[in-house]
Amino acid sequence: MSASLAPECNEVKEPEYLRGNGNTDDNECATMFKDYQKCLQVALQERKIDKLLNEAREDSKEHDSTHLKRK
Amino acid sequence: MVLTHTTNHTYTHPFPTVTLAFFLRYYSPQLNPFSAHVLSTDTIESHVDPETGRLYTTRIHLKKSRMPSAIIKLLPTSVTGGAGEKSTYVLENSVVDIREGWMKTESRNLNFTGVLSVTESQHYSANPPEQADLASALSAAAARPPMSSNTWVSTTFSYRSTLGSRKADKAAAANEENARKPFGWISGWGAKRIQSSIETIASTKTDDQMVKSRDGMKMVLERLRSNGVVAVLRELNRREGKGVFEA
Repeated sequence: MSASLAPECNEVKEPEYLRGNGNTDDNECATMFKDYQKCLQVALQERKIDKLLNEAREDSKEHDSTHLKRK
Repeated sequence: MVLTHTTNHTYTHPFPTVTLAFFLRYYSPQLNPFSAHVLSTDTIESHVDPETGRLYTTRIHLKKSRMPSAIIKLLPTSVTGGAGEKSTYVLENSVVDIREGWMKTESRNLNFTGVLSVTESQHYSANPPEQADLASALSAAAARPPMSSNTWVSTTFSYRSTLGSRKADKAAAANEENARKPFGWISGWGAKRIQSSIETIASTKTDDQMVKSRDGMKMVLERLRSNGVVAVLRELNRREGKGVFEA
């Protein structure tokens, strides 16, 4: 299992959620994935990665729009 | 300036196996010896679109930076992003359409963007390039094309250095004169020259890295082919002393 960037999230990271299981949101994997995501959100904020993420999303929006204009 | 570089490759494995290998390629250095530089992998988003059946996944990988530490030490933290001097956060977005037989991925660095933004876009297809359009048209008409035993992938890297000219692209577009004015600690035409050198150096380094990345994918693919996914994961977990995939 690959490690999480946040050691405190490793515990809830397993077992990794490998494939989207159709539309079922209430299976065991989905619950574990939510716990893991909750842990990760805190870690991303602490490490200020959430800010980098938002910047990246803004940036790609800009590029998409200039890209579309050229066509 | 943006430098782009496209290469094509064919894996001799069927499309579903290749998509699986893509998601497992950083699972463990035991599975992929070329992934030792990947320090962590996290899935921050994953969902299946109920209408199209497409799987959307966003992951963050933390990789050991290949940038020489001597250079990193010279850069201000405003440029490095302050996320540890030798590590790069990579954001990976992917969409898989298993029915139509294609996967699109895009990876880009989250820090060091003040020096260089590298974007790797990949298009995987169960059909050879010249047939891909036809196949997706057929599949839209509910006539699924027979699954090929090969997978075709086209990879495009783009490099954009913005060193010393934060938001200079925009400024230059608005007013050509602005590009000549000093920006921060590197400025004007000098900055442009340095930027294009950085883009060229990065592009040269990537060629070597891409071969390794492909070799890594091939190792994962071979293990999946000979043992199957459940056996492969069970063996890796057993070695780690965990019984995670026991059902």
